[in-house]
Amino acid sequence: MRFVLLMAAREMRASWQRLLFFFVCIAIGVGAIVALRSVIQSVRNTFAGEARSLIAADAIIASNQPLKPEMIAKIDQRLEAAGAKSMRSIELPTMARPADRAEGRARMVELRAVERGFPYYGRMKLAGDVPYSHALLENFGVLVRPELLAQLDVKIGDGLRIGSQRFTIRGVVQSEPGRRLGAFSIGPRVFVDLTDLEKTGLLGLGSRAAMQRLLKVPDAAFDKLIVDLRADFANEFARVRSYKATEDDIGEDFARAENYLSLVGLVIVILGGIGVSSVTRVFVQQKMKSIAVLKCVGARSSQLLAVYVAQVAVLGLAGSFLGVMLAGLAMQAIPSLLAGATPGVEITYALTWPAIVQGLGIGLLVSLLFSLVPLLDVRHVRPSLLLRDEARVRRPDATQIVVTVLVVTGLVGLTVWQAGSLRIGSLVAGGFAATAIALHVAGTLLLRAITPIARSRSFALRHAVLQLSRPGSQMRIVLLAVGLGSFFIIGVRSLQQNLVDQFSVRMTADSPDMFLIDVQRDQVTAVEETIAAHLDKGVVAPPLVPVLRARVVGVAGRDVNLENYEDVRGRGSLAREYTITYRSKLAANERIVAGKIWDPTPSDEPEVSIEQFISESFKINVGDTIRFDVLGRTIAAKVTSVRFVEWSQSRAGGFMFLFRPGVLEKAPHSFIGFLRGPQDLEARARLQTALVSVAPNVSVVDGREIIEAIKSVVDNVTLAVTVVGTLVVLSGLMILIGAVAMTKFRRVYEAAIFKTLGATRRLIAAVLVLEYGLLGILAGGIGAGGAIGLTWAISKYALDIPFKPLIGLSAAGVVVTTVLVAVIGVMSSWEVLQRKPLATLRAE
Amino acid sequence: MIQLRGVSKTVMSGGQPLTILHPLDLDVASGRCLAIIGPSGSGKSTLLGLIAGLDAASTGTIAIGGTDITRLDEDALARLRGEKIGFVFQFFHLVPSLTAIENIQVPMEIAGRRDATARAQALLDEVGLHDRGHHYPSQLSGGEQQRIAIARALANDPPLILADEPTGNLDSSNGRHVLELLLHVRRSRGVTLVLVTHDPSVAAVADDRLVLRDGKTVPGTSGEASEVPGTLTRS
Repeated sequence: MRFVLLMAAREMRASWQRLLFFFVCIAIGVGAIVALRSVIQSVRNTFAGEARSLIAADAIIASNQPLKPEMIAKIDQRLEAAGAKSMRSIELPTMARPADRAEGRARMVELRAVERGFPYYGRMKLAGDVPYSHALLENFGVLVRPELLAQLDVKIGDGLRIGSQRFTIRGVVQSEPGRRLGAFSIGPRVFVDLTDLEKTGLLGLGSRAAMQRLLKVPDAAFDKLIVDLRADFANEFARVRSYKATEDDIGEDFARAENYLSLVGLVIVILGGIGVSSVTRVFVQQKMKSIAVLKCVGARSSQLLAVYVAQVAVLGLAGSFLGVMLAGLAMQAIPSLLAGATPGVEITYALTWPAIVQGLGIGLLVSLLFSLVPLLDVRHVRPSLLLRDEARVRRPDATQIVVTVLVVTGLVGLTVWQAGSLRIGSLVAGGFAATAIALHVAGTLLLRAITPIARSRSFALRHAVLQLSRPGSQMRIVLLAVGLGSFFIIGVRSLQQNLVDQFSVRMTADSPDMFLIDVQRDQVTAVEETIAAHLDKGVVAPPLVPVLRARVVGVAGRDVNLENYEDVRGRGSLAREYTITYRSKLAANERIVAGKIWDPTPSDEPEVSIEQFISESFKINVGDTIRFDVLGRTIAAKVTSVRFVEWSQSRAGGFMFLFRPGVLEKAPHSFIGFLRGPQDLEARARLQTALVSVAPNVSVVDGREIIEAIKSVVDNVTLAVTVVGTLVVLSGLMILIGAVAMTKFRRVYEAAIFKTLGATRRLIAAVLVLEYGLLGILAGGIGAGGAIGLTWAISKYALDIPFKPLIGLSAAGVVVTTVLVAVIGVMSSWEVLQRKPLATLRAE
Repeated sequence: MIQLRGVSKTVMSGGQPLTILHPLDLDVASGRCLAIIGPSGSGKSTLLGLIAGLDAASTGTIAIGGTDITRLDEDALARLRGEKIGFVFQFFHLVPSLTAIENIQVPMEIAGRRDATARAQALLDEVGLHDRGHHYPSQLSGGEQQRIAIARALANDPPLILADEPTGNLDSSNGRHVLELLLHVRRSRGVTLVLVTHDPSVAAVADDRLVLRDGKTVPGTSGEASEVPGTLTRS
């Protein structure tokens, strides 16, 4: 043991510089894992135990329509019995515009109306350290997010028109309780007093207001109250969310996010591991004579194996520590990078111990797993090597096969551990293996394709190709790593481009790009007139579409019989609330697949046409009867047809349930509209403002803004994948530098012989440039080819959008990869050019 | 000390078996010095490698100090080399990543000796390189490297020293010093010494000479008839 430790220490003293990039390979991956895990854990820690602040209460009763008086009475009775307090809150997407400027444009906002005492937990933080009090909201005060000030060009003290009322901006909200992290937002948050909201006219029929009752419950009564309330609301349009469930949801969400992100880190570590494996193989080759000497003076194979395994362990651990340090540096930069990602929430980012321990463990494990198989070659070094050079081609022996199987199993286990799921872990491991094999095969084929160049008349070109295809060349490993990185980057960039192009194409097509919500029956004429007055010439606005909310509460059919809502709830999504409409004929994106559509005359007998998905999923057929609850009224409608809806063209409306005119007209309902707004931005703003003026409760959603929001999400995803791709390319380049360093001794010797035979430094430099240039072209080509394949497959099968190969982008990817690989390859080989031949030959 | 019976070595060359050492018997008594001589490719180094257990014989038995090494596995052979055999190579074969003194310590450390450092220093003194212990092989001359190699060969006090062309890579002055050192060691410690050499002047100092040509033993050109018929010549 003493010998093993002493030798490991001595060897490391001599070879740590050569193995420097060994631990840089590991460090990059470990750094990625530790940083990604720490970020997620920091976010989770910020929220840990603060689930109450997240919902601003112990529990919330939420409903998107006013509760029946008898339910309210029951709630009050339950709360009183439990000794609980409660207050109301309403959330509502609506429009806001400057109150004092006629031309000021309107913006969609997420309004929250609260009562005195809000919040029960957490705190409202206002800009300028202004303390929050409900008095700021009372009498038509409003608190807004800073981005709204910029968007509407208003400031504190200015007026803001919301619905039919004028509010005064009294403060700027920096952070608030009850804001879910990462939730999709359609506009900046504004806070108003609940009593004032009721005077705005925004809570009329069809309003998308989410009614909330925030509860504060003594601990002892909490669980029972929640169980009772849930039982009360089982068959109602309301649900009860407790802070405990929120805590569980958040825990699961974060665990999933953490595991997925860690897999990204693991892919980088595994690439580093491939680099480690490659270095170890070359290292053992270089150490053959020393190993033979040690065997000659009595060392056993097992002792020598232990010497090198100990070295790998120390280097792996050192690399992992370096990775933790890199992660620490990255964490310093995170707050400024992610500042915009969590509006309204303050998070302290720091490395976490669990992330550090995992990172160190993974770094060590990957180092050992990837170096073990090449290290086994130590056993085959024969001391007779010292008497004569002998090159033996060995077939893998039983030990090597068993160890390889164990290593592969270990790696799959590691992936499963990091993914936190056997299925996902196995899929990722399988995917990685398939990609590696595909890249390896592609590398081999490409290499074969360039072999004829080895017969070129050009000395430089001939030798460049020979260098790439010689035994022991690290080409495949570099191709694998650099190719994979450029594949990530080019792939995600072309996918992004295809998606954005597709959105733009759809927007430029002659299709609706503005949506109106919550138009009341008495506003229909005014709204239609306003639209007609503002549209571009030749554009005719389609009529507004009536909509109601309904819930299936029973089905009497041939294959299925659901007596009541409780039975319906057992059928999953059938129990959800649907938006329904009525019209006399089919829309352009619909066709009948069973039964037949009604004649255009209204009928008193309720008839409904159902979408194919509903028919197939819940086995409801033509002739069956569905009972709907429409605003408390039960309507039993006969299914007279099954429709297919082309959802990709559903921006003019798509409905699961379509009623025959004649029944629903009598029920209170609102209207929505789809129109192609003016293409001029000023004209669009004028139309929005005019609509809000004639119908202040109407929300006008601009499709272009939604596209901008989607674009920014796509941009963020692209950025994230590009960062990962860059890290992979970086690992690939590290492997390249390592490969060059490890084989440099041979290259220096060969260059010395060439120089002795008359080759100039320029000629040798040309060989190097061509060699690494070719390597770069192959790696870039593999990346670009794979990226085009990936974009095609995702466009065709996942996104269902037309595929357009982006030749310019792919070519740019190949060029950048080529230049990078060539520059780094030649720079790392500088010594090959500089060393004097005599000194080299003497040393040999 | 050394006893070979019917030892041969056949290797595969271009898919064909090639005998590089034909069956050979050899006895070397304890304390004797044997020189194996012959032209390049005659099988000298192969024979030395077989005696050291560095390579496996195709036929025959090899006994070192009474132990049949042809029956030993790799690990047992390594242990035997560590305890009983010291090796000196033409190209020194010091471990480049270790200092001179560490190179000498290694065999003792493998054998688990506690006094490795003190003894390595004593051996450094014995080979006249008292103050060069902390130099790396690349910082030493060829002669110095070979003296370190001799000190390493002596580390575990082996009864047998095998030297493959120990002066073959040195100038005549350094070669003479190294040879004197080997002979001194042999005299002072009473070890058995087997030398492979091209150099007649080196062979001349040996007690016995074995001449090889094309893998076969041939009668010597000088000295008395060998103890083993037809193979050895004695000064």
